[in-house]
Amino acid sequence: MVSKLSRPQLASLLALFAGMVVLAVLPAYIDPYSLRIVTGVLMWAGLACAWNIVGGYAGYISFGHSAFFGIGAYVTGILMQRDLGIPFLATLPLGILVAVGVAAAIGGPTMRLRGAYFAIATWAFAEMLMQMAIVLDITGGTAGLSLPAYLNEFFFYYTMLIVALGVYLGTWYLLERTRFGYRLKALRDHEPAAEAMGIHTTRVKVQAFALSAGITSLFGSIYAYWVTFIDPRSVMGPEITDQMVVMVLLGGLGTVWGPALGATVLWLINRYIWSELGDTAIYLPILGLIIALIVLFLPNGLISLLPGGRRGHGLLGRLLRKL
Amino acid sequence: MDVLLQALLNGILIGGILICLTVGFQLTFGVLHVIDFAVGGWVMLGGYAAYWASRLLGVDPFISVFFVFVLFAGVGCALGPLIYHVRTSRYARPDLMALAFTFGIFIMMRGGALWLWSFDSRSVDSVLSGASLSIGPVTVPLLRLSAFGMALLLGLGLFVLLYRTRFGMAVRAVAQNRDHAGLMGVDVKRVSAYVYGIYTGITASAGVLLATIYSVNPEVGVRYTLFAFFVAVLAGLGSVGGVLVAGLVLGLVESLVGTYVGTRYSLLVVFATLYLVLLISPKGILQRGI
Amino acid sequence: MYAGADSQTVRHSPLVLEGLVKHFGGVTAVAGVDLEVESCEVVGVIGPNGSGKSTLFNLISGMLPMDEGRVWLVGKEVTGRSAWRIARAGLARTFQIPSLFDNISVRDNLLAAAVEGDWKGAPRRAGEVLEMLEISHVADNLASELSGGQQKLLEFGRVCMRDPSVILLDEATAGVHPNIRRIMLEAIRRVREAGATFLVIEHDMEMVREICDRIIVMDAGQVVAKGSFDEIADNVEVQRAYLGRQR
Repeated sequence: MVSKLSRPQLASLLALFAGMVVLAVLPAYIDPYSLRIVTGVLMWAGLACAWNIVGGYAGYISFGHSAFFGIGAYVTGILMQRDLGIPFLATLPLGILVAVGVAAAIGGPTMRLRGAYFAIATWAFAEMLMQMAIVLDITGGTAGLSLPAYLNEFFFYYTMLIVALGVYLGTWYLLERTRFGYRLKALRDHEPAAEAMGIHTTRVKVQAFALSAGITSLFGSIYAYWVTFIDPRSVMGPEITDQMVVMVLLGGLGTVWGPALGATVLWLINRYIWSELGDTAIYLPILGLIIALIVLFLPNGLISLLPGGRRGHGLLGRLLRKL
Repeated sequence: MDVLLQALLNGILIGGILICLTVGFQLTFGVLHVIDFAVGGWVMLGGYAAYWASRLLGVDPFISVFFVFVLFAGVGCALGPLIYHVRTSRYARPDLMALAFTFGIFIMMRGGALWLWSFDSRSVDSVLSGASLSIGPVTVPLLRLSAFGMALLLGLGLFVLLYRTRFGMAVRAVAQNRDHAGLMGVDVKRVSAYVYGIYTGITASAGVLLATIYSVNPEVGVRYTLFAFFVAVLAGLGSVGGVLVAGLVLGLVESLVGTYVGTRYSLLVVFATLYLVLLISPKGILQRGI
Repeated sequence: MYAGADSQTVRHSPLVLEGLVKHFGGVTAVAGVDLEVESCEVVGVIGPNGSGKSTLFNLISGMLPMDEGRVWLVGKEVTGRSAWRIARAGLARTFQIPSLFDNISVRDNLLAAAVEGDWKGAPRRAGEVLEMLEISHVADNLASELSGGQQKLLEFGRVCMRDPSVILLDEATAGVHPNIRRIMLEAIRRVREAGATFLVIEHDMEMVREICDRIIVMDAGQVVAKGSFDEIADNVEVQRAYLGRQR
């Protein structure tokens, strides 16, 4: 198939390749502050992608993903305390394991709930976990938890880059190319009909939820090590989920590349407001306004503005599909 | 024993206000089929409105509550058609889009309050603050008693409106079946907008009452959204009658946990109970129609 | 698995129903239905609205839990199994209201129907099904963009993709254009020749006459008559069910 690339396909492949090269050499050319911003974009793109697996592909709007971000952050944070001293990389799989375990355990009963009930349940679950982080001793309560500092921006940039790229390629392959993706989309669009096709919908939903939770937790772990200090609000607060939801809606719900687009735009807005106005509170009403406006005027997200985006795979997605 | 009595009394008094907070929410769900995430936002804004009325104009919250009702009912009537539009749109999942929309409004309210008024908690004083009645072993703060009475008055007003007027008949018809009510000549869009307005008015008024008892800051909205969900889920979404029991249950749970376990655990317990209730009985424990 | 007395009741017909009962509150929607459908047979289910036909389908396919009764599918008892297990055991069905996967393409709808079956061969089969149902030209459209008749065809196409032993069709041709009806009839004939067994709910008596070998008539949750089309047409019970109760 590769031998018969059409011209736009070739162009987009080249653009993609060029983009990767730019991302790979970028740290050498920009200042540390900008590098942190780009690292943030990569992290949020990955998080949005994780949320999109459940929200966009399975059709279950989760308002509780901050719980899994917090699980990753706390697993890494607690295990890296001086008395345990487990190396950072070893904490990552453990964080994923805990998050996947929790997601699988609560996924079964929670995903029996449809629509708004599911949203409320996940929200209550996340708030419950945050309250637990506040009252428990092991998490340091509201005082928070300090991690051993590792001040190497390049390390975090490349870690985020590799993980985010892996997440995108992995989910693109899984959701657009394998049976798993078809199972998910089928149950999203018509759950009884999906069952009538022999799809074990409960299992598929829980798998998607656990996958999404694992990815979210992975980013939570890296984030904790990156910022070196965590407290219940900063890693389990509702703002984490808020941003994931807005980024996906902004980019395009249920599309492969929409979340990345939404995350880039929103995180740049976030950082711009933060640096120009020095006042983060104004960011929240803007965030809310963006959600409301998108729902009213652009329900298919920014990606629907791109040529070829109407089918919900976006230009890049469509072209990648043809390879 | 006295402690228990006091805790029970406090629970009932707060429960009354929680009922008032949730009836409108339930009505909105019944008529518009929208879960309004912003419910706590209306409570918070109502509290701030009372605060500024008292601070700038010196109006007692038990008087400003009526103006707050009218003001927020107006805002709600203006916002209602937008929500109706999203809910009845041809989007792939209008229910989830409506949820996301109110979620956005909620973030806007909370963020706006943070931006304008910062994190500080503000208390709203009334002439009744501090006064109390002693009945045997228990003390009844006059403020809480009056707030409870005011909440009951508002709730009662809503019931009269729903079950004794022509408008109420139209509302109930829409709640039963939107399409059929439309065929009978009910202007569904307008009824929906009015219902949303009544809901925002009542909820903001409940916010005034809660602000006089506790205080108000931008973060209280999250807490009251949770409370409304809790009561609504316990009662069964859309059920107005079940709210009477469910609101009292929440008031008592919160008061008892606060008294015997510690206030820092009360939110944890409430969230955990809500989650469990959802898992055990997703359709609500006291399910009954509007 | 079915030891003792039960071993004698193992059924080898593709579909066997024994004493199915379903109550909704105080209303009995299905009141003891027995039926045995032979291999490659097409059995029509007719009866007035509310006679329990669709509920019967929901019981067989596991979409509703039954209160009493047993179901065998190709010799295996599937009583009380969940819908996806029954589907994997060889049952496929359509719905009265087309139940497509609206936000994916027509071709992807067909592929999604094959996820629990022969996945490798699915793209080729999807091409054949599109061809057979004459909807190749809209293969890349979203399912929600199809006309009502095309949606019915696509729903039947999803059934074909699964290569089932038993197919339940709920008003497959209600209200469609004659042209689409012709395509559907031809497709049903071909699937049947390939060895499938059908149970169909149908209101259109012309359709019933054309495709059904045998007919059962339902009224108030019970089978009130069975037989060939001509036998049924003369039956007093049937006329009573359709024309209202006479004293």
